[in-house]
Amino acid sequence: MRKGMLEYCIMLLLHKEPAYASDIIQKLKEARLIVVEGTLYPLLTRLKNDDLLGYEWIESTQGPPRKYYRLTEKGEVFLGELEMSWKELNETVNHISNS
Amino acid sequence: MKKTLTVNLGGTVFNIDDDAYRLLDNYLSNLKIHFRKEAGADEIVDDIERRISELFAEKLSAGSQVITIADVEEVIARMGKPEDMETEGESSSADAGSTNAGGGYGAGAWSSNTAYSTTRRRLYRNPDDKMLGGVISGMAAYLGWDVTLLRLLLLVVLICGVGTLIPVYIVCWLIIPEARTAAEKLSMRGEAVTVENIGKTVTDGFEKVANGVNDYMRSDKPRTFLQKLGDTLVMVVGWLLKICLVIFAIICSPILFVFGVVFVALLFAAIAVAVGGGAALISLFPMADVVLPTSPLSAIVMYIAGILLVGIPLVSLVWAIFSQIFKWQPMNSGLKWTLVILWIVSAACFGICFAVQGATFPELGIFNF
Repeated sequence: MRKGMLEYCIMLLLHKEPAYASDIIQKLKEARLIVVEGTLYPLLTRLKNDDLLGYEWIESTQGPPRKYYRLTEKGEVFLGELEMSWKELNETVNHISNS
Repeated sequence: MKKTLTVNLGGTVFNIDDDAYRLLDNYLSNLKIHFRKEAGADEIVDDIERRISELFAEKLSAGSQVITIADVEEVIARMGKPEDMETEGESSSADAGSTNAGGGYGAGAWSSNTAYSTTRRRLYRNPDDKMLGGVISGMAAYLGWDVTLLRLLLLVVLICGVGTLIPVYIVCWLIIPEARTAAEKLSMRGEAVTVENIGKTVTDGFEKVANGVNDYMRSDKPRTFLQKLGDTLVMVVGWLLKICLVIFAIICSPILFVFGVVFVALLFAAIAVAVGGGAALISLFPMADVVLPTSPLSAIVMYIAGILLVGIPLVSLVWAIFSQIFKWQPMNSGLKWTLVILWIVSAACFGICFAVQGATFPELGIFNF
């Protein structure tokens, strides 16, 4: 479940704008979602292998070129589905905690 | 004063201390081993390398010129040990089919961290302290005995003429997996697989490399000529054995093929028995009426048992050879034990059927043997 969350959050972040791994790490760390940074890389590669993410190399002013990840069309569709089920889950939990 | 090296890490050049380099190299190769079963393993490690290079670049922009071992330790703590990455990555992975069988802590690991600290020993070959294949060393670690004692014991038994130990050793070599990752090495010794212990192992391994100590091969005292001769002899014998093993496998492959054909033939015969009864079988094997017991039930039992009796070792052997050649995962232990038990049961069945048959036709029983 935690990993599902993590994937959802990564995709949400990338939905707003393409980002590069270290930016994603920064944001996830701020949100206290990951403890060690190494966790992210297998996840990104897995998502990429499932065609949910793509990346392109962009020149950087400092140091070597960087890998910028973005959502693919398939990824957008999948994110939509995830959002739906997340909302449903949220409603269920809210309903139960309020009743 | 320390020697430094120049490395290219993720496309940037760094000056790095010798010891820091060894630690980093050890860490990266551990990562590679850890992710070897994952699709895109190279890419993951590559990305991690890039990230490390970035962190180093940040360090250097702060003013220092060289990457020290403290920097590397800090970065490793930040990136996490390979096994930490697995906690959240592998165990709760959506495609549960890929959970590794060798680790043994795939399933419930993320429910709580304490689930990790299993102290069950597992039998591995020990690559860090080996004479030939590390089988004895692994066994000693498994049993908690002294390695040298076990080796001496084995040597004495061997000299006393129990030559069957040699094929047993070779089979062990083939079947027992090598302890490759830190976690595997820990469970070989029966120590708890915790982050601290893994850290210790990784550092220990690094120290071993750094000091150039390979335990017995390079001890503190200079080795005498005789000892050196012994070392060389062991090495040569090891190589010869390995070569023999390869030749053996090559020679065996046609035999295995013949066995396979026989196996398939037996399978067809069994199906024929099941479907057409005894009559069909007699037409298949003109000589078969000699071997066939009278009652069809015991015939079927005997044939099934016979097939399992031949098939299980055959399949295991083929599996072992292939997994050695193609670096497959070793069979998981549950399956292994099931097969062993099945084999024993079928051997018993076969023996009983044969005994019954031999009792009915004593003269034929002798003839068959």
